[in-house]
Amino acid sequence: MNIRPRRKNLACCISLACIAMAMQPAHADSAYGVDAILGNAFNTGYAGGQRDPDATPSKHTPTGQLYGVPYARDEAVAGATSGWVEIGILSSGADEKAALFRKYKDPQSGLYLNSFGMTTESDNARFLDITGGGVGNDDQFYSLSVGRYNDWKVKAFYSETPHVFTSTYRNLWSGTGTANLTLNPPLVAGPVAPATAATTDIAIGNAALATPYSELSLIRKKGGIRADMNLQDNWKVFASYSNEKRDGARPFGMVSAGGGGTGGVEIPESIDYDTHDFLAGIQYSDALNSATLQAAASLFRNNVGTMTVGNPMFLNAANGIVAAGGVGPFPRAVFDLYPDNDYYNLKGEYARELPDMMKGRFTGVVSLSQSKQNDNLIPSTSYAGATVNAIAGGAWDTVASLSQPTANLKVDINMADFGLSLKPVDDLDVKGKIRYYETQTNSNYQACNPLTGQFGRLTNDGSGAAMFNALQTNGTAMTAGQAAALNAFMAANGCNEAALASYLVANGLVPAAGNVNIRSIPYAYKQMNYTLGADYQLGNSNSINANYERETLERQHRERAETWEDKIKLGYVNRGLENGTLRLSFENDRLRGTPYISDPYDPFYSASLGSPNTGNLAMTSWIHVNSLHRKFDLADRDQNILNGRFNYMVRPDLDAGVSFQLKTAKYPDAVFGLDGRNKQEQNSLNFDLTWQPSAQMTVSGYYAYQDGKSEQNGIQQNACVVGTTYNFWSDGSISTVPQTAAQLAAGVTLVSTTTVTSANFLATCGTASATSPLYATSRAWNVAQKNQSDTLGLGFKFDFSNMTVLDVNYTYSSNRTKISYAYNPYALGILTSGAPTAAQLLTLGLIGGGFSDLVLTQNVVDASVLVPFTKQSSVRVLGRFEAGRIRDWHYDGVAANPTPGTNQQTYLDSGPQHYRTYVLGVMYQYKM
Amino acid sequence: MIWGRFSCKGGVLGVLAALLLIFSTGQAVAAEAATTAMTQDAATYVGEQTCAGCHVTENKNFGHTLHAKVFRQNPKNEAEKQVCEACHGPGSNHVANPTDKSALISFTKSWGTPVAKMNEQCLGCHEGGNRTNWGGSIHQTKKLACSDCHNPMAKFSANGLLKKGSITETCQTCHQQQRAEFRKKSHMPVPEGKMTCSDCHNPHGTDGPRLLKADTVNELCYSCHAEKRGPYIYEHAPVRENCLNCHLQHGSNNDKLLKMSRPMLCLQCHDKNANGMGHQFMDPNINPATGTSNLPSTRIGRACQNCHSQIHGSNSVSGARWRR
Repeated sequence: MNIRPRRKNLACCISLACIAMAMQPAHADSAYGVDAILGNAFNTGYAGGQRDPDATPSKHTPTGQLYGVPYARDEAVAGATSGWVEIGILSSGADEKAALFRKYKDPQSGLYLNSFGMTTESDNARFLDITGGGVGNDDQFYSLSVGRYNDWKVKAFYSETPHVFTSTYRNLWSGTGTANLTLNPPLVAGPVAPATAATTDIAIGNAALATPYSELSLIRKKGGIRADMNLQDNWKVFASYSNEKRDGARPFGMVSAGGGGTGGVEIPESIDYDTHDFLAGIQYSDALNSATLQAAASLFRNNVGTMTVGNPMFLNAANGIVAAGGVGPFPRAVFDLYPDNDYYNLKGEYARELPDMMKGRFTGVVSLSQSKQNDNLIPSTSYAGATVNAIAGGAWDTVASLSQPTANLKVDINMADFGLSLKPVDDLDVKGKIRYYETQTNSNYQACNPLTGQFGRLTNDGSGAAMFNALQTNGTAMTAGQAAALNAFMAANGCNEAALASYLVANGLVPAAGNVNIRSIPYAYKQMNYTLGADYQLGNSNSINANYERETLERQHRERAETWEDKIKLGYVNRGLENGTLRLSFENDRLRGTPYISDPYDPFYSASLGSPNTGNLAMTSWIHVNSLHRKFDLADRDQNILNGRFNYMVRPDLDAGVSFQLKTAKYPDAVFGLDGRNKQEQNSLNFDLTWQPSAQMTVSGYYAYQDGKSEQNGIQQNACVVGTTYNFWSDGSISTVPQTAAQLAAGVTLVSTTTVTSANFLATCGTASATSPLYATSRAWNVAQKNQSDTLGLGFKFDFSNMTVLDVNYTYSSNRTKISYAYNPYALGILTSGAPTAAQLLTLGLIGGGFSDLVLTQNVVDASVLVPFTKQSSVRVLGRFEAGRIRDWHYDGVAANPTPGTNQQTYLDSGPQHYRTYVLGVMYQYKM
Repeated sequence: MIWGRFSCKGGVLGVLAALLLIFSTGQAVAAEAATTAMTQDAATYVGEQTCAGCHVTENKNFGHTLHAKVFRQNPKNEAEKQVCEACHGPGSNHVANPTDKSALISFTKSWGTPVAKMNEQCLGCHEGGNRTNWGGSIHQTKKLACSDCHNPMAKFSANGLLKKGSITETCQTCHQQQRAEFRKKSHMPVPEGKMTCSDCHNPHGTDGPRLLKADTVNELCYSCHAEKRGPYIYEHAPVRENCLNCHLQHGSNNDKLLKMSRPMLCLQCHDKNANGMGHQFMDPNINPATGTSNLPSTRIGRACQNCHSQIHGSNSVSGARWRR
């Protein structure tokens, strides 16, 4: 192959590029990165006080919205220094009830430095800029920028963000926020007899009721530095580093024993995170080319990677783990919390104008990332002596019991995106684009103890287990000899799944009922997007555009190997109206895919080690979900979205806008899951108005309405036991016994029967039908949700002639979600077929047809009066009044009864409360 | 075949077509139509002092902007040295005839400079970087002008020469729906001034969808929620693929920005449940018949996550069901 011409071409290209670099002007970059804003609830944006009375108040954006009136400022002088400070007294009524109010803000009573800032310049364009606010509070922020205009800039920042999860948490532990949560007296970790589960349930409940409410929250503390520098005219380099520390705790679930049947206790999860982010890059830009190459790294560190919690629950001995030394078998729970992880990214972006090729433009992006973590794995129990299925030597409390000592996981992510736009005629732009995105993972963890060769896992600290077991093919237990031989084989097998499967077949054994995970599932996917679009100018100020996109997703180990979605978008823009601008768009999306396989997960479960037996085996766990169920992210979907926005200058001093979005989605092949028969809808309608009759007065308002509805269907499983005959009755009930006298008296008749065999279990139980023992359609339920939101905002700002500035804003928001449900109480066994009892009917009445509505209503008034008494000094009186009413059935009854059942299940977060609160402040403001 | 799918949307398309026709006929009165033929090619620079001679107030306010500081204190090329005319173009024709709207590039609705021309002026300096994908972006396709969001004539914002005091305020002048969503029970801390739209979106265009600043939704979310990045031994498939399978991005009437109330959210995929479904919906009151409650743990508080607390993925060898 002759490469000489290519070298020559390359040399020419490089030479031309170098010439271009030398000749083209500088290109500034005003883009923002993450942390684009520094502020808090009292400093949400730049505010300059009195507005310039000489400014024109009726200038409009090209769309037709009023520009604001510039703030009154003295003539700018290069090299000048300016600044301000606002300090005063704040009185806050935000108590513990006002958790929603304080969620992301921290108004505290007392001396309060609300904000300060200073900018100083030198004669040679150097500058120093300092700002800050909320000093000392958990929402404080600071920034310092230094540099030379148009040359370089270094910015350092620090900001804190509080996040209050709840203020009604009954904390039963000490050490919250650390790696060890110790139970507070009188509760003891691992209670023993004479305590029982019932007495412990009461003891935990009493302890909770005696514990005052406290807050669970965290604070994000983030600081960083970024440097930007223009090199010559065309080149720019940038680099940044930031560190975020998160400290605190949030409500978390702790369940014990097998499957959660013994209940669980709501614990505080300790949070102590550090995230380090690095970014460095170089940009080039000239009249024809622009390019960016950047490298990023993000290192997450969890300082509480393992959390040990004192367990107040009375638990029975399990898996050979017994009480010892007067302490119950499971006095502590151990959580393997989020692992440390590393993320690296290298990204290159290039764009090239092609003026000689139909005024074209090429863009290309290539991004390579890797996400990995290699945390030490912790044993499945911290208790010695565990033996599972009477097999000794498992050493389950040691790392030796794990198939690998560390996670050793990584995900490689590759992305490439290439686009070409052309202008074949003056009024037409066309653009084509191809995008490729792929994740690849090496996940291959085996849930197998190499010391014994047992597949499966201990659960919940060893208080439960999900282990592979075997039976004889006729469904009876193994003989002692078979069991001993199998155990010996597994111990020598070294976690070889194929060898174990062969052994089972050769020895007349089959996996038992429990279908357990035997290895991790390496989810990964590849996505391709093909886009073709056109934008045509109908006239000088009207345009239509059309866009077609096909998105394909190939997923590994999901219900569908591939899905594809066709997205067609049409748009219309009219800027030609003298006083208005209209924008409309319509989108139709159609998602389809390869055949839906309800259970693609078999290879990762013990069922894959053999066939079902012919005996009395419950097959429920062998069936992932009924075959008519569609997971919404993979289901066929037809979606339409209509968007519109119209801006209109009613008068030179008055602009109005109206916008809407109508969105419907339908899942046509989903009998269960998101309802396939009815549309899922989400609509919004918005109005906004700004009246600016003078430079001194602005009145604004907006109203937003949203509603949505969705429906979903499901089936409550019944049973599927090989060898059992199920009777289906005319009232929807299912039984395995003949017609009862009560059924006979009530006229309930037998409709059909189904007998489950090892040969037909999948066909009869795997899909929903009127005669499916597991998914009988009489046990179907339906849930309908309707949401409605109304938001109203009003604003009034007035500058008095004496320079006093009044600024008042009011916001009302109402959000309501109504959830109703329907089901057959006979089919679900809530009512006894043919003979419902009074108690059952009472229970049915309590269940009703729906939940109480989820409601949040808020009224917020923000007011500020700025009264200057010299050119430099002002007094500002500010006030915020907020009332919130909230109803959330998730927390109904928890405050009065934190242990509502008898199974030790304990709820310690009583949820959000109504609140009515205020913040008042008197501030002194000094400007220089 | 494909047209068949659209037959049911004929009404919508008909409305669109009708509106298109109606408004197209209105273009004779269009402000922009009068000024497409810019006469700037023959114009020459007059210098900022000439401009300031008439535009006293504008000049006073402009002096506090970053553009003014760059152009006046440290210009790097001939264009920047022109100050006012760096953006508005050479002004000699405008000086000669101030009412001739074709004589000067202006950035307001009433002046009528075509949007493409306005944006061309801005991109003349601001090409590349985060504007690399402006062409073909949703904002460009909707014919937004740079000056629909930016106002370089006065200092309204701390950074970015925005038309409002903050990025959030600027975006919400059009995105009222999102403004309302930030008022819901769970929301990103945008109204509280701790986040802003451009923390997630690049309004100037991106190579990916929805103006997101990262390659995917998840990679974007991980920039603040790095702990969710994993990877984990036991992954939850929809979590790994897209956070928005379960969460809304701006605000929700449910906890944790969830799309749907729990347990119904989980039941969209997992209708297999050990507890009786009727009991899922049990009223929270104590059952008077038995003196006890049938409250299901799958309904109170965090519902399914009362047990499956590590729902984003677990690195525990016992965590196949995300309980440890």
